[in-house]
Amino acid sequence: MNSWLRENIDYITLLTVLLLLVIGIVSVYSATYDAGASMYFHRQVIWACAGVLIMFSIMLVPFRMLQLLSYPLYGLSVAVLFAVLLVGKVVGGSKSWLGIGGLGLQPSEIVKVTTVLALASYLSQRNINLRRLKHLAVIFGFVLLPVLLIVLQPDMGTAVIYLGMLVIILYWAGASNFLMLTLLAPAVAALATLFGTTAFLIVVLLTLFLLFILRENRLISAFIFSTTVLVGVSVQFIFSKLAPHQQKRIITFLNPDSDPLKAGYNVIQSKIAIGSGGMFGKGFLHGTQTQLNFLPAQWTDFIYCVPSEEFGFIGAFAILFLITVLLVRGVQTASIVKSRYASFVVIGVTAIFAVHTIINIGMSMGVLPVIGVPLPFLSYGGSNLLTNMIMAGLLLNMYTNRKEY
Amino acid sequence: MPENIELSSRKSVFLMAIGLIFAAFLFRLVQLQILYEDVYGEKSKENSIRQIARDPIRGLIYDRNGILIVDNRPSYTVVLMPAEFDTGNVNYLAEILRLEPSAIKEKYVKGMAYNRFTPVKIKRDIDFPTLSVIEENRDRLRGIDYQVESKRYYPTKAKATHLFGYTKEISDQELMEMGNEYKPGDNIGASGLEAAYERYLRGHKGYELITVNAKGQMLGAFNEGKTDIAVKEGNILSLAIDSDLQAFAESSLTNRRGAVVAIDPSDGGILALVSKPDYDLTMFGSVIPRDVWVSLNSDSSTPLFNRATLTRYPPGSTFKMVLAAAAIQEGVISTNWRIQCPGAFRFGTKVFKDHIPHGSTNVVEAIQRSCNVFFYQLMLKTGLEKWNRFGREFGFGSPTGIDILEETAGLLPSEEYFDRVYGKGRWTQGYLVSLGIGQGEVGVSPLQMACYASTIGNKGNYYTPHVVQKIRDKETGQILDIQPGSRQVMFSEETWDVLRQGMYKCVNEPGGTGAAARVRGIVVAGKTGTAENPPHKDHAWFIGFAPMDHPKIAICVLVENAGFGGAIAAPIAGMCIEKYIYRQLIRGIPNREVASVKSIPEEADTSKNE
Repeated sequence: MNSWLRENIDYITLLTVLLLLVIGIVSVYSATYDAGASMYFHRQVIWACAGVLIMFSIMLVPFRMLQLLSYPLYGLSVAVLFAVLLVGKVVGGSKSWLGIGGLGLQPSEIVKVTTVLALASYLSQRNINLRRLKHLAVIFGFVLLPVLLIVLQPDMGTAVIYLGMLVIILYWAGASNFLMLTLLAPAVAALATLFGTTAFLIVVLLTLFLLFILRENRLISAFIFSTTVLVGVSVQFIFSKLAPHQQKRIITFLNPDSDPLKAGYNVIQSKIAIGSGGMFGKGFLHGTQTQLNFLPAQWTDFIYCVPSEEFGFIGAFAILFLITVLLVRGVQTASIVKSRYASFVVIGVTAIFAVHTIINIGMSMGVLPVIGVPLPFLSYGGSNLLTNMIMAGLLLNMYTNRKEY
Repeated sequence: MPENIELSSRKSVFLMAIGLIFAAFLFRLVQLQILYEDVYGEKSKENSIRQIARDPIRGLIYDRNGILIVDNRPSYTVVLMPAEFDTGNVNYLAEILRLEPSAIKEKYVKGMAYNRFTPVKIKRDIDFPTLSVIEENRDRLRGIDYQVESKRYYPTKAKATHLFGYTKEISDQELMEMGNEYKPGDNIGASGLEAAYERYLRGHKGYELITVNAKGQMLGAFNEGKTDIAVKEGNILSLAIDSDLQAFAESSLTNRRGAVVAIDPSDGGILALVSKPDYDLTMFGSVIPRDVWVSLNSDSSTPLFNRATLTRYPPGSTFKMVLAAAAIQEGVISTNWRIQCPGAFRFGTKVFKDHIPHGSTNVVEAIQRSCNVFFYQLMLKTGLEKWNRFGREFGFGSPTGIDILEETAGLLPSEEYFDRVYGKGRWTQGYLVSLGIGQGEVGVSPLQMACYASTIGNKGNYYTPHVVQKIRDKETGQILDIQPGSRQVMFSEETWDVLRQGMYKCVNEPGGTGAAARVRGIVVAGKTGTAENPPHKDHAWFIGFAPMDHPKIAICVLVENAGFGGAIAAPIAGMCIEKYIYRQLIRGIPNREVASVKSIPEEADTSKNE
């Protein structure tokens, strides 16, 4: 038994997750300490305990069963998501909560997991060829179905997570550089055009250069190139047609400093919180930004500021380091598991963690636009935490079953 | 997996991507938390700590006898917090405060730009009914509050308007120059001692640090008040002024225009400094009402002008001792040198008049009886250079260095001056004749004249006149003693004797022009002067000191357009001396028109050029 435990449990992942969980609880405690919101802390503790149980349960679920259940779980969760649209509660301007016995649950969270499972299941089939349009369409369909339902809610952040995860999984599945370029070029061009004509031109030229190097079918290359240009130009055109206040929203989204009192307020306060933490921080429960509520609802999306302010660089670095370890471990696990299904599950879960972390910390440090996305294991929120624990359980499960085909 | 090679390449792409992002975020963390910690630390403090300034109480002022002469009284100032104020209330507020709505708007906009959480002073020194209206409408007038400030209060009869000076709200220009010590709405000394000793009187602002939350609500003292900066009251000034004498001298010039300056000859301390007409400093309160300011400025009798230190009138005969000193000290004449005064002096084609024929006159008699002819001739004999040099010895032609800022240098002409004004060689000795009797192009202030009298009184110690003797730090109790500057005027005993004998006889012997300055039991020495002021009435001058042997007071009295110095200025000087030395008037309450002077020989050292 002991040797089984020694061999079959991914201690690195387990330890990392537990440490992040503890830091998260401490941070939520501090963030809600003086804000009259201590109920958040109590709930978070309960969810964390439940989460640990769920994580171990998922770890012990028979591997084959998971694989068999992938499609049904996906179908069920998407159905629930659809139900949310019809009967969900409105929280914070978006209709993504399902009231179940007093506890609000966000189905879009758990759908991330089921989507990964479904994708992994589909991609692990031997006959899947990413060069075949039909197969690609199915893959996109798996992702677009929940994304569309989520965007309708509307929840931009989650949608971005799905797309990031899809790109990463496709790459892992062996998508050609050409396919990646096809996917990414128009998106990047659309974003670049908002930063100015120069940025847009650079992206267009880069696309042209890469297409030239890849030497694929000329007709398709020309199509991709013109799509890229067209997307960029039309975004520019749509932007110019927007009402000034809408334009301002987009500009603030890209550059928070342009509107310090309203939309940019959070990011500025967040940067102040992190920056003023200095090397060693202001001490637990002594962060002025945190304790005096300069960040609205910082226990959710801006949780990273709390340990960064109170424990300084040491705290901020520790979190960054732990998450990096988790991601690296995920990539390693994905490459040692024998089963293609397991490999895709691990890489999908890791991708979700990665995109969440990058968007969240990048936003908190003021290097990325503000998109409301929680930080894995740290942000307050039951659905999110439970989903994260389920995903951690999947990582542990795949490691345990790494030798299974 | 079959694509093992490809897989490992993809794995390394992922690991590299993770590594790159990790490095980028780490770099950003270092940038925020280590490189720019100061910047963000400062911002975080600004966020959560609000400074509340506490204005210091302005320093008190005492006279030489320890009598409080400048005090403070509470006054209520209406303030507006721009962040909370509803601009819809501007008209309502303007109505309550009887202000122009535009004035309130302007202050609101300025305050918004400066710091929206710093209260802006809207109106100072409001009366109690106005205060009650504001208090009753607190709910409606959000962002409006009042602060208790202090305003100046003068408990004694000594008004000393020009000496004390006034304070005013700091201007934008001054605010830029003064830097951090002042904030908009602060008061700053604008004239007199208030301006000259501003940095001692104002004290230091205190700051309470208050922790606020993101809504700006105050949560309590920051760091338990340990980092608060305590208010430091202004320093206490002890003046050389004798408030009784000051009040008396002021009353002696009631309804007149002129000045009285009295100095302690033993150290140059100013005992009294009066300029009339004056105005009521308490009208200014803590802020100057515009209508009051306009009427003071447009008043033809110039009440804002400090006549004691800023006038530049010819001194008339009071200046004769300068020439006498030059002539005796330089050996131009001996004390026995005599002239015959026929009552007029012809020089070239011009005739310079004397008021009466004085007959045979030596230098002491010439001072005693204010003989003009003697000094016309003596001026020609002595020359401009010596006269100018001795004038400078007595401090004329340059500022005295008194410790208030308003002061004139006066005018003491030299050859260079005449060359400059008239051209070299284009002026003649005739220009000098009237200088011999203190007429023509010579200008002095009463302050300079008092210093001159003091220097003759103490035989050669020219002290820099000063008002403030001690500055006491109220917090530490430390006392700064002001050491008067002094300079020795090195004349021979004989020279001093001539000047002093002349001045003694002028007051105390028959034929002297200054008899009206006599005081029973005290030997007063002095000199009258009547400065021509065509086409208006002459200015009356008197300078003197007493008691003669060990003078305690030197005085200069100037009354504008009043007539003869002996009749008008001398009795005022006499009464001031009496008041100062006896602490009361033994001659009883004087009739200011001074009937008794009728018996005194009239002098009129006019030099009507014909």
